[in-house]
Amino acid sequence: MLKSRLIFTLLLDAGYYNLSRNFRLQRVGDLKWVQENYDFDSIARSIDELVVLNVAKAATSDIDALAAQVRRLGEQCFMPIAAGGGIRSLANAQTLFQAGADKLVLNSPYFEDPELVRELVRTYGAQSIVASLDFRLLEDGTRRVYCRGGTRDTGLKLEQAIKLVQEVGTGELYLTSMDRDGTGDGYDLESLSMASQLASVPVIASGGAGNYAHFVEALRSRAVNAVSTANLFNFMGDGLRDARNEMLQDGISLTLWMPF
Amino acid sequence: MVTIVNYGMGNLRSIESALHYLGVACVIENRPDRVAASEKLILPGVGSFSRAMANLRSTGLQHALEHAVRSRGVPVLGICLGMQLLATRGTEDGLTDGLGWIPGEVVRFTDRNDRKIPHIGFNTVARKSQGGAMFSGLPHAADFYFVHSYHFMPLAPDTVTGECEYGEPVVAAIANGNVWGVQFHPEKSQGNGLQLLRNYCGGTARC
Repeated sequence: MLKSRLIFTLLLDAGYYNLSRNFRLQRVGDLKWVQENYDFDSIARSIDELVVLNVAKAATSDIDALAAQVRRLGEQCFMPIAAGGGIRSLANAQTLFQAGADKLVLNSPYFEDPELVRELVRTYGAQSIVASLDFRLLEDGTRRVYCRGGTRDTGLKLEQAIKLVQEVGTGELYLTSMDRDGTGDGYDLESLSMASQLASVPVIASGGAGNYAHFVEALRSRAVNAVSTANLFNFMGDGLRDARNEMLQDGISLTLWMPF
Repeated sequence: MVTIVNYGMGNLRSIESALHYLGVACVIENRPDRVAASEKLILPGVGSFSRAMANLRSTGLQHALEHAVRSRGVPVLGICLGMQLLATRGTEDGLTDGLGWIPGEVVRFTDRNDRKIPHIGFNTVARKSQGGAMFSGLPHAADFYFVHSYHFMPLAPDTVTGECEYGEPVVAAIANGNVWGVQFHPEKSQGNGLQLLRNYCGGTARC
């Protein structure tokens, strides 16, 4: 049987990792800091997948810096790594795959350069592409999708954006509620459930997890196939390992593997 | 020495990292003469079947692989697309001849309401009786990481060494003498995958 996934997302900006709250970033430390303050080996053995996102607001993003982080992280963990943020060409994609990324996370290109996404799908297959959609609940109850790190309104509703990214091509949806991001209030289950019904590809929940119970709640709802958190502080130290154990005790179907 | 075949498709670095972790000497190689003379091969791969076969042909690596695996009997482990290439033919982007070392065809999962495609995530692989050497030291049912939309349909059921369930039984691992293939990514499957790689790299690699 296919297992649920617990995913950890690292938010990278100019060599530093960040906390994000409603898409406002707060720098916490570099990779060395993360390794010293968090038992990275413990993290790497407590999650099913790692996502590394370049969230730099700079107009020209540095794919080489992202690739360097992916390369270093990949030497220490034997799980899938998805990387993205600033991919604007086939060459960028190639750089990340060569650094050890298994999947590319794409957001703005779906709205600004869909032909690039199509070419990436043709070259690497849809299963290598994760479409990341950032959405905000508007007062009229509709869900609006933003790109460029939440700064540009695509003019599309979440429903329309899901249709678009599936037409252009994707292997997974990574859905982030900008309202819940960094709040620790739990995932936007209503939106995720709606999205999942429209999606023919697996859905990853992002934005709002504050403790393990939020993971359990989202996975039990069956709206999503995977849950992600980018909150370094809520899951400090052994936080992810403990969360994984709690989830298993609550009957969530997660993978068990041999110690190594 | 394990030779990881580089034909321009896929994530070679993570296989290299996993072998380094296990203390297994390896080299990433794209020169046909070196591949032909190798001792043990890993054929990785991500992307489309037809593009992969076109790359293997145009680089001369298909010939080199034929020589090593067929003439010299060198063990080979195909991973993901690399496993699918072992088949007689693939159907991705039109019918394409594969390496043909394990008779069978690679077809797309049929669209159904009860499952998402691609098949992504950790799934439990039940070992078949022929999978002893491949899954040595692992529990009878062990989880591995999958990411694929096409799957291998072998002609001979006795080539199947492991199977998982995704709305239907899916071939997860196959073997035919010195030819091994896994649909999942052992280099991305935490301790379970490392154990399987240890079995391949350290053992005699015959099923």
